[in-house]
Amino acid sequence: MSSNPLALNIHELSIQFGGLKALNSLNLEVPQGSIYGIIGPNGAGKTTFFNLVTGVYMPTGGAIQLFGESIAGQKPFQITRQGIARTFQNIRLFKNLSVLENILIPLDENRLFGASGWLPSLFRTSFFNQSEAQKRARALEILDYFKLTSKHTEISGSLPYGDQRRLEIARAMATGARLLLLDEPAAGMNPDETHKLMETLSVIRTDHSITLLLIEHDMKLVMGICEKIAVLDYGVKIADGTPEQIQRNSKVIEAYLGKAKSN
Amino acid sequence: MTPSTKIKLNYQSSILWGIALTLVWISQSAWIGLMNPYYLSIIIYAGINIILAVSLNLVNGFTGQFSMGHAGFMSVGGYFSAYITTHYFAQSLDSLSQIQQALIFLGSLLAGGCAAALVGYCVGLPSLRLKGDYLAIVTLGFGEIIRVVVLNLDSVGGARGLPNIPGLCSFGWVYTWVLICTFVIWRIIRSSYGREFLAVREDEIAAEAMGVNTTQVKVKAFVIGAFFAGVAGGLFAHTLRYLNPQTFDFNRSVEIIIMVVLGGMGSITGSILAAIFLTTLRELLRPLQEWTQIDFRMVIYSLLLILMMLLRPQGLMGTREITSFFRNRRGDPR
Ligand SMILES: Nc1ncnc2c1ncn2[C@@H]1O[C@H](COP(=O)(O)OP(=O)(O)O)[C@@H](O)[C@H]1O
Ligand SMILES: [Mg+2]
Repeated sequence: MSSNPLALNIHELSIQFGGLKALNSLNLEVPQGSIYGIIGPNGAGKTTFFNLVTGVYMPTGGAIQLFGESIAGQKPFQITRQGIARTFQNIRLFKNLSVLENILIPLDENRLFGASGWLPSLFRTSFFNQSEAQKRARALEILDYFKLTSKHTEISGSLPYGDQRRLEIARAMATGARLLLLDEPAAGMNPDETHKLMETLSVIRTDHSITLLLIEHDMKLVMGICEKIAVLDYGVKIADGTPEQIQRNSKVIEAYLGKAKSN
Repeated sequence: MTPSTKIKLNYQSSILWGIALTLVWISQSAWIGLMNPYYLSIIIYAGINIILAVSLNLVNGFTGQFSMGHAGFMSVGGYFSAYITTHYFAQSLDSLSQIQQALIFLGSLLAGGCAAALVGYCVGLPSLRLKGDYLAIVTLGFGEIIRVVVLNLDSVGGARGLPNIPGLCSFGWVYTWVLICTFVIWRIIRSSYGREFLAVREDEIAAEAMGVNTTQVKVKAFVIGAFFAGVAGGLFAHTLRYLNPQTFDFNRSVEIIIMVVLGGMGSITGSILAAIFLTTLRELLRPLQEWTQIDFRMVIYSLLLILMMLLRPQGLMGTREITSFFRNRRGDPR
């Protein structure tokens, strides 16, 4: 349909937990360079979808293509190395490590930087020092996008909640990913922080031609920056389209308002 | 900090390691031989315990994988290296020059370390999929399996033990390996490999999602830890000159774990201090033990652990090192 090549192409993707069809024959096309939103009530299967795409769960059916290549049977770390990285709904930072170290770890796996090798690490060769200095410079650069440079020596677990959320996005970016999956990035943020986060996301998208796929409950954020939105309910995609189309979609209104009525 | 000052710092620390190594050998040749042999033996066993504690800390403290089989690896290395020197070289050893003897000893230590590392790889690859208590149980079982296997191996004396091991080891040898072990693990922890270990300890799922091959990282830690435990076993064998399967039983593994926990999971300095402390404590308790005919060690260890849990659950040093008292650069690469 679209002229852009696809960052992510999902075909008839399903997963079943016992009798529960958490995701049922999902089809989704995420164009490269877009900001794509996934919304839906709690338990709709959004996080499960991220877990499938990043290899945490094995699908019971269907196919996932990342930048045109299938990721079937690969482990999460292998999938990450192909250019996809994520954040978690319940923040999963390396809590006892500093902010800087949190960014250096993915940089070690990033193919543009990489690990320093056994002998250079042991004998601290000039190659080792150079590569450490490069990674450090890059880490500070990434932290700068998220206004965290001044806090780079702090222990990440002791940061305020909003900072932790942003650090997690920064860490995902440091893998060198071209596609970022953000699971409720604005959860727990105040409107001001949410607004700043939206700006940051737009900036990194254009600066680094990163594709963003985000799950979000904050409608203002979703409608504000997403070019396209898919709506999940009970593991089924009930609608997709532009924010305007979604707002007017009767099925979507029913899913949300119907829920509210029955509650 | 600019890169140039950083290089200078590393250069300085390399000199420090060199000075330490020189001091070890000056002590060895100048005065350590004149020392009371009993005190000397305590110093040597303290060194061996330092190697064991620091290498176990890599697995338990830095990588967060609770292994309870360290004595098993020590046993593999000890028996392997002792078998080499006793069976192939014992008769001819006296006719060889000092350098030849040293080379044979070095070779047997490396062989013992590699044998232990190989066993570590074979045990680690399947069992490191397990987490927490399950891994602890599997490694504990592994230690027992090694003990029973050695008990039934006639070529290394079985239950009678392996006597007449040549006494090739010395203060210099042990502390050279203490330095090698601390040097290697210290520097690995402060590199990209070290950050991988820490990432696995902190959050395996997040580490995997950031591209870290967590299985490989855990196996690496296990293999390096096993190698140094094997070398420690070889040094031990050639110091005591007699091996017995009971020496490497479950209690021995527990003793090493206690050193790591007391010193602080994730602190090399802590492991060193705790290893020295516990080795000394054990000797101080010996008269009491001989008088009452009761082995107080485990009682004291349990009390120490309980006190530690109440007063300082993170261990003596937590994750801090001696160097962090001199400079405070927490955010910088370790
Ligand atoms: N590992 C699992 N085992 C069993 N059920 C699961 C598992 N993961 C998710 N589910 C179920 O799948 C459904 C979708 O969950 P989830 O994807 O977390 O929803 P959300 O859209 O709120 O992120 C829920 O009913 C949840 O209980
Ligand atoms: Mg969710």
